[in-house]
Amino acid sequence: MSMIEVSNLTKDFRKTIKSPGLVGAFKSLIKPKYETFEAVKNLSFEVPKGEILGFIGANGAGKSTTIKMLTGILTPTSGYCRINDKIPQEDRQNYVKDIGVVFGQRTQLWWDLPLRETYSVLKEIYNVPDKDFYKRMDFLNEVLDLNDFITSPVRTLSLGQRMRADIAASLLHNPKVLFLDEPTIGLDVSVKDKIRHAIEQINQEEQTTIILTTHDLGDIELLCNRVFMIDHGQEVFDGTIKQLKNRFGHIREIEFELVNAEDANRLNFSQFGSAIEYSQNEKNVRVKFDSSKVSVPDVIRLTLSQVDVQDISVKDADIEDIVRRIFRKEAAEHD
Amino acid sequence: MRRVLHLEKIFISQYLKQTMEYKADFIVGVLGVLLNQVLNLIFLQVIFSQVPKLAGWSLQQIVFIYGFALIPKGLDHLFFDNLWIVGQKLVRKGEFDKYLTRPINPLFHVLVETFQVDAFGELLVGVILLVMSSATVHWTLLKVILFIVSIPFATAIYTALKIGTSAAAFWMKKSNTITYLFYMFNDFAKYPVSIFNHLIRWIISFIIPFAFTAFYPASYFLTGKNVLFNLGGLVVISIVFLFIAIKIWNKGISSYESAGS
Repeated sequence: MSMIEVSNLTKDFRKTIKSPGLVGAFKSLIKPKYETFEAVKNLSFEVPKGEILGFIGANGAGKSTTIKMLTGILTPTSGYCRINDKIPQEDRQNYVKDIGVVFGQRTQLWWDLPLRETYSVLKEIYNVPDKDFYKRMDFLNEVLDLNDFITSPVRTLSLGQRMRADIAASLLHNPKVLFLDEPTIGLDVSVKDKIRHAIEQINQEEQTTIILTTHDLGDIELLCNRVFMIDHGQEVFDGTIKQLKNRFGHIREIEFELVNAEDANRLNFSQFGSAIEYSQNEKNVRVKFDSSKVSVPDVIRLTLSQVDVQDISVKDADIEDIVRRIFRKEAAEHD
Repeated sequence: MRRVLHLEKIFISQYLKQTMEYKADFIVGVLGVLLNQVLNLIFLQVIFSQVPKLAGWSLQQIVFIYGFALIPKGLDHLFFDNLWIVGQKLVRKGEFDKYLTRPINPLFHVLVETFQVDAFGELLVGVILLVMSSATVHWTLLKVILFIVSIPFATAIYTALKIGTSAAAFWMKKSNTITYLFYMFNDFAKYPVSIFNHLIRWIISFIIPFAFTAFYPASYFLTGKNVLFNLGGLVVISIVFLFIAIKIWNKGISSYESAGS
């Protein structure tokens, strides 16, 4: 049986259309015009117990709206989700006992008080028995290193510490499902690493089902068995990260440092058609291409034949590139 | 119920700890409240020394009504002031999300989150005025009991109006101006309704029923008349308004749109 079942989930928002400026604001005050904006359209998927699902998409694709419906914050316009055998909107108070939620951009910690106070209040809110609470705190201390700052007021914590503290707060009651909305946003590499490791450990020890939204390919590659991608509120991909890369081509990026910035004018990749594109910033030229259609040596050979180059570096594409690529492809198919 | 009281205790102590975190702000705040209430008392003294009788009510009786008015207002202010924040920013900024992901009733959660110490000023002045004027009431055991019972119902009228108007934010995003507009009518409640014209009298009795938070119940204690309307009305009105407010609130939650993040 699936831990999470989502069926034809749809969310429309009504937006007021405003003409720009103060006059426009007055006009819309007197005679408002509305338009319906479909943030999420007909999403259906299932997540088995113990899986970590990477939920990805560009900004504004409908990720947060979906997460907010799954966590019971928003009411769907139509369709439903059933999680842990409960419909969040119908049985919200009961449902949230078994889930944990972290919104990377917001905190649920008590801003002015030492971190420890937040945990003791959450213990009361979730009715966690003393014995479980101490055991749980020991475990969370171990995986997230909270002891260094547990007596500091939350407002004095660094972003990385705050995020670790927030993740611990969402896990205090040992939830069956954990929603992480951009848990690594704005963090440095070592903190990201610690958080990824913690998520992995929690998933393994407790068989916690996790939905993770992120813009970081590293998070996805290290943690997720499966990737679900949406755009404009609709599903565009559902499968493993390997399938994602195979299906949408290996995007590669080569950065050339030129001897003279003006030489860039002489660059001409037209023989490769639409499989390649480049951008220039002073002496640095970035060339992005689909390595299933154009080979790396070909690109380097052609570039060297056209301009003088000081340095070359070849990179793997990040998730953003793949995502952008998919969207362009989708858009092209629609036209 | 035990759990409710337990959580209430936890949240209040949490709030006080937070307040005390900023010591200077806390001390200045307390001084400000005391100063404000002393000025209020002086102001009342001046008014009452100029107006010995108002629409057939003696000075003592008016002091009683005025004092009575401050008790439910102060209690609502003390315990349920956080509702202002709902209409001001919690909904507009999407901060209301937090309350929906916790296993306690979101309305209860919002209500218990603050403990507005300022309100002790109003309560203190209210009690002083009631004590000063209590000789004018012919107290019986029944009246004492009814007095105690009427306080929570009168408080509930304040709270219901704040719940209903702040819930408007779920549709309008921001509604604290509506709450403010409604709340301002409570000034009328401190005086005998007979001094107002019919329209205002009707509004403060049945639309924004602040007259039931002070004048009607107080006039029963003063005259012993019309218990059915003065106190029965209070009970009915406060239950009806609270019921409607909670309906609006719950409907509002299902229309809540959060905010982009």
